[in-house]
Amino acid sequence: MPEIRVTPLGAGQDVGRSCILVSIGGKNVMLDCGMHMGFSDDRRFPDFSYITRNGRLTDFLDCVIISHFHLDHCGALPYFSEMVGYDGPIYMTQPTQAICPILLEDYRKIAVDKKGEANFFTSQMIKDCMKKVVAVHLHQTVQVDDELEIKAYYAGHVLGAAMFQIKVGSESVVYTGDYNMTPDRHLGAAWIDKCRPNLLITESTYATTIRDSKRCRERDFLKKVHETVERGGKVLIPVFALGRAQELCILLETFWERMDLKAPIYFSTGLTEKANHYYKLFIPWTNQKIRKTFVQRNMFEFKHIKAFDRAFADSPGPMVIMPGYCVQGTVGHKILSGQRKLEMEGRQVVITPTLPPPALWNPCWAAGVMQVEYMSFSAHADARASCSCGQAEPENVLLVHGEAKKMSFLKQKIEQNSVGKPRRGRACEGGFSRACADRARHLAEALSTPPRGQLLYAANGETVTLSTSPSIPVGISLGLLKREMAQGMWAGHAGWGGAAAGQVAPQTAPAPAPAPASQGYSRMPRSPGSCRHPIMKDSNFRLVSSEQALKELGLAEHQLRFTCRVHLHDTRKEQETALRVYSHLKSVLKDHCVQHLPDGSVTVESILIQAAAHSEDPSTKVLLVSWTYQDEELGSYLTSLLKKGLPQAS
Amino acid sequence: MDPECSRLLPALCAVLVDPRQPVADDTCLEKLLDWFKTVTEAGPSLLLLQENPCLVELLFRVLKAHDPRPRVLSFSLRLAGLFAAQEDCFQYLQVTPSSSVSQQGELLPMLFGESGPLGGAAWTAPTVRSGWLQGLRSLAQHPGALRFLADCGAVDTIFSLQGDSSLFVASAAGQLLVHILALAMRGPAEGHPSPQGCDWPACAQKIVCHVEDSLRSTATPQVTQALNVLTTTFGHCHSPWTQGLWVRLSPLVACLLEKDPIPASHSLVDLLLSVARSPVGSSDCGLWETLAQTLSHLSPTQAGPLALGILKLQDCPQALKTQAFGVLLQPLACVLKAAAQAPGPPGFPEGATGDSITVDTFLSSKSACVGLLCQALAHLELLQLLPQRPSPWPQAPLLRAAVAILRFCHGSAAPTSDVGGHLCAVLAGCVRVQRAALDFLGTLSQGTGPQELVTQVFAVLLEYLTSPDSSPMVLKKAFQATLRWLLGSPKAPSCCDLDPHTQLFLGELLPVLRKRLCSPCWEARDSGLEFLTQVTRHWGGQAAFRHALLASEVPELTGQLLRDPESYVRASAVTATGQLSSWGLYATPTGPEHPEVQQESLFTELLHILSTDSEGFPRRAVMHVFTQWLKDGHADVAEDLEQFVARVLQAASQDLDWEVRAQGLELALVFLEQLLGQPGSRCPYAVALPEAAPPATLAQVLQALCRVQLFEFALRALFDCDRPVAQKSCDLLLFLKAKATPCGGPQEAGASPDVVSVEAALQRWQAGEQGQPLGELEPEAVMAVLRSMDLEGLRGMLAKSSDHMEKSPQSLLQDMLATVGVLGENEADCY
Repeated sequence: MPEIRVTPLGAGQDVGRSCILVSIGGKNVMLDCGMHMGFSDDRRFPDFSYITRNGRLTDFLDCVIISHFHLDHCGALPYFSEMVGYDGPIYMTQPTQAICPILLEDYRKIAVDKKGEANFFTSQMIKDCMKKVVAVHLHQTVQVDDELEIKAYYAGHVLGAAMFQIKVGSESVVYTGDYNMTPDRHLGAAWIDKCRPNLLITESTYATTIRDSKRCRERDFLKKVHETVERGGKVLIPVFALGRAQELCILLETFWERMDLKAPIYFSTGLTEKANHYYKLFIPWTNQKIRKTFVQRNMFEFKHIKAFDRAFADSPGPMVIMPGYCVQGTVGHKILSGQRKLEMEGRQVVITPTLPPPALWNPCWAAGVMQVEYMSFSAHADARASCSCGQAEPENVLLVHGEAKKMSFLKQKIEQNSVGKPRRGRACEGGFSRACADRARHLAEALSTPPRGQLLYAANGETVTLSTSPSIPVGISLGLLKREMAQGMWAGHAGWGGAAAGQVAPQTAPAPAPAPASQGYSRMPRSPGSCRHPIMKDSNFRLVSSEQALKELGLAEHQLRFTCRVHLHDTRKEQETALRVYSHLKSVLKDHCVQHLPDGSVTVESILIQAAAHSEDPSTKVLLVSWTYQDEELGSYLTSLLKKGLPQAS
Repeated sequence: MDPECSRLLPALCAVLVDPRQPVADDTCLEKLLDWFKTVTEAGPSLLLLQENPCLVELLFRVLKAHDPRPRVLSFSLRLAGLFAAQEDCFQYLQVTPSSSVSQQGELLPMLFGESGPLGGAAWTAPTVRSGWLQGLRSLAQHPGALRFLADCGAVDTIFSLQGDSSLFVASAAGQLLVHILALAMRGPAEGHPSPQGCDWPACAQKIVCHVEDSLRSTATPQVTQALNVLTTTFGHCHSPWTQGLWVRLSPLVACLLEKDPIPASHSLVDLLLSVARSPVGSSDCGLWETLAQTLSHLSPTQAGPLALGILKLQDCPQALKTQAFGVLLQPLACVLKAAAQAPGPPGFPEGATGDSITVDTFLSSKSACVGLLCQALAHLELLQLLPQRPSPWPQAPLLRAAVAILRFCHGSAAPTSDVGGHLCAVLAGCVRVQRAALDFLGTLSQGTGPQELVTQVFAVLLEYLTSPDSSPMVLKKAFQATLRWLLGSPKAPSCCDLDPHTQLFLGELLPVLRKRLCSPCWEARDSGLEFLTQVTRHWGGQAAFRHALLASEVPELTGQLLRDPESYVRASAVTATGQLSSWGLYATPTGPEHPEVQQESLFTELLHILSTDSEGFPRRAVMHVFTQWLKDGHADVAEDLEQFVARVLQAASQDLDWEVRAQGLELALVFLEQLLGQPGSRCPYAVALPEAAPPATLAQVLQALCRVQLFEFALRALFDCDRPVAQKSCDLLLFLKAKATPCGGPQEAGASPDVVSVEAALQRWQAGEQGQPLGELEPEAVMAVLRSMDLEGLRGMLAKSSDHMEKSPQSLLQDMLATVGVLGENEADCY
């Protein structure tokens, strides 16, 4: 039975180090190749030894696909390609290709400059890695090889983020990467067509969360910033996620313009500045509003926001707004968790007074002068949106990039929903709060098209295996099909052998070949390997390959050959004429295989030339030329060449 | 343990066992375990537990929790294993009941026995199973542990975990079995136990019997598991008992070869090679027969890795090596046969004639054909580089095969057989094979070949460089292979110039290079520039090359690429022009007869890039070029050395990229070394010379350093916010201090210098006010300040990573405690 196997090496039931191996139709694809921001040793990268034990990496993997430029999705890429030794193709969208090296350089800077790591990938390695990248356009079907094809869909989340459909034959998997179904100030909503994959691998970061209205959060944010600035204070917004920085810049820029504020806004001259360059370039990837107005004004050409110089920095305060989660081991984490004593780079010690409980997210910092606020501006799909990917109508769903307990809860809710309406008011299930349970119920209800198969999740290292029933195109004559359908043979696939008895997509042949009296048989398609044929013997239908059908029916494959007669004036014998033809063609067609066969005929590739005597004129020889339609061009050329006559023998 | 950590630990343990408190992310627990590992490795675990009873309490409480959280349970299992690694602590945990928890019992059996998590709902979480295995792995260090494992029935559970759905768990289970086997065979059993196993310890006997059963199994996964356990065993354990083990198991392994198809062939190959590499291999003649038999039984794709492994072995019968080499050559022999215009032996050794099985593989499917070819090419590439590669090495047929494959891929080969026609259809445009074949062809440049073949090699390379169908990656590899062949080509006997064939090829290559430098694809332009840099580095002095290059438009185009929209390309163009200029090949309309004009213009242009380019890569490249020019004593740089250094340092000091500033210090160090000599003799046998510079010279040098504002640059860099810059500056100033100190400072001769302004500036810079200039400097004042500074102390401080405070265990414990109650909606928030 054909199967799809999925093994997360990272981000199975956690966030960070996204790396998922998919095996589909004999092809192996790696989805994302991220780093974990919580570790600074070997554990920061996925454990690739589980792939290398299968032999050479480049032989084992058919391609790597990167969903977007965030480091938890691409941070291990130079290590994987230049240090572990993957030499195959890497697919990503153009904006991702442009911005990825900026983030990788920044990551390298932190590792090498700040943490003093010696054995880290170099700038040259980043460049060499980026040279292996093949850029893909949205909705463009990219043929990785004859059998494997991929297609990118818009994912929102950050500039250039894409969901990918991976398809081999009739089997397919969709990987969402990180996505956002709600358009924000610079990006549109994720969209995918009804591609009905066997498996949808979707992120579930906010699987059980339905976040507050974005408008409210933005209003709150602007209010806080405005109040502080009005009081003559400063606001520091350490944005660690690219994309979110641009979103906040647009938010502030628009607000400044509307309120006609004069206070300067600066952004740090690093990552954001470099990335802004590409944000200005890739306008087609932004939302409709920005695309419409960019001729008058490119929204990323900020009027009020200027580049920041470190020299401007003096004392901090009085407000810090953290627009995202910080990992343990960082100053940001300490500030967010309300710690009062900080030592940064061994230079500064900031003492904060005793404060109200940090759970209020409002601890003052530096003698009551500084406030710290945490406000999520994450660009992930929340519970409602997670379900919207149901528009792809997947057969099965695998949740990744989230927490196991929440995934399990979500699964339970969705299963309840698919059976019947959820029971109202039931809460505090599985250790979750009432609010959480309500959110999950909301999610389950929102899932308009629940998966027909299973909703799955797998820990890192765990393999999920799905048996599939691939659609196999079948060539069959219309008459036979109608007759057998009338007899009810097709309903239960009675008497069919093999694993192919799944979905049958009958092909009506335009010119069915005559079938033997007692056997159903259809025209041979051009690519026998890709198609199966029903044969009926002893009142039984069986599905077999074209070759097998021919063999069992004792038939030979039809061949179509063009023929032509060329008259040559030549008094010699036929054999000598043939020899002259051979010598002539050999000298003219150096790049082709010209052969003189023992029976006197001459072949050039599939073209056969025989010399015969003219029935009426002994001084004329007739060249009988025949060729298959594959060599039609060469055949025509040869005919015209021979019509010009043979060179005089020396 | 640090007293502060000891103080924080009880609170943390309380948080971990409290089901209402969300646990900080997995990374915290991992880091906590890392810390406990270092603590237990540094001192007695028993003492640690006695001084911190909260730890045992934690283990008990987690165990007794109604619904333990998987990650905390996993953490506890691993923690218990770490403690129990020391025998006294192991015994303590075996018998010690909890002091305050109502339930009592022996802790370790409760954790790892059948009554523990094994039977609970949490066992379904892979992290718990993994923690259980890792805990046992840490624990299994002493004989007591073996008895414990036997008593609690752990070994049977490990057997079952070999087939776990999680790769990580299954792999850990296999490794643990090997570890237990090695532990059991250590001590009294060590030596030469009988193969029958009657004198083997019970635990070892049990494991070996399980392996035997698995090898006899008809289920391939079980066979694979057994083979993997044995592979690790023979790879890691080299004691004499492994010989007995092989004697006992080799008949079963041999039986696998009789099956059709051979089960778990990949694992079987790994095992045989592992045995062959171990001491067992040298003592068992039967092994070579098994290897030979395996080679002939496996399919060409399966046999490839085994053949390569055999050829890598040091001591191995020649016949077996010949057979293995034949296996590797088969696919290429098939290609040669398919491509041969006229019948005749392809020139490979006997045994590699393109057998029918290989042909069948080629014909079976496109992916099989491509896979086999790529594998063969990669294996032969590896082999070519090894000292023990087969001799004589069939260089000529290999070259012919590589060329034929590349022609098949390119569609320029004329097949003469069905197989040839099939190969043509399958390989046409196949990037994967093109990459592999070009890599292989490049490696073959280490050897020679008949001129006719070398001409074919260059012809096919030129085809690829010219073809519009070549993908950027293929093009890059084609450039790399071309470079290797060019640099490996023989010199003309008469002089050290290039031979006529190479010159001829250059004539064809340079127009292609020129075209590629104009490619719309940045990868192609960049690969072209990288090639140009390398070839110029090696051939810049060759008259024929110089002539051909100057006659082409390549140098001018390279100059134009300094303004390429792609920063990677600009950086490569900087490196290339720098290299061309070093050889006087950076062409301008004035021609090579006026190098000073060009040099000035290039220097100015590169300086402009250094000052204005928005991207770091080109600016870094400029600094590399300037440093190299300085090192090489480039005539035009030497003309006004101080002016050159001053301008470059001024631009570098203002750069936002730390690597540019660090490279500026590198250049400053080169300048300093040229003035004062090397930092110290690196040769231990060299005659010791006085390291300090004579005072008169030193005074002049210090004046020069002041003039180029090197001091200001270095002192400012000392307080740079980027650590490597500060570190480099510290090293540079220490070098200067060492050179100046032994001779005494110039200040001894006169009045004490005015150091106030320098010290004030330093304080300002240290406080982060980098904008303040230093103004005119007196060398004496600088030296006095340097002498007073604790540069060694600063260097020690800089050696620590910027997050060393955050990485400390104390910080970790504080963070974990601080997050209690504040982990809410933001916990899952991320990028």
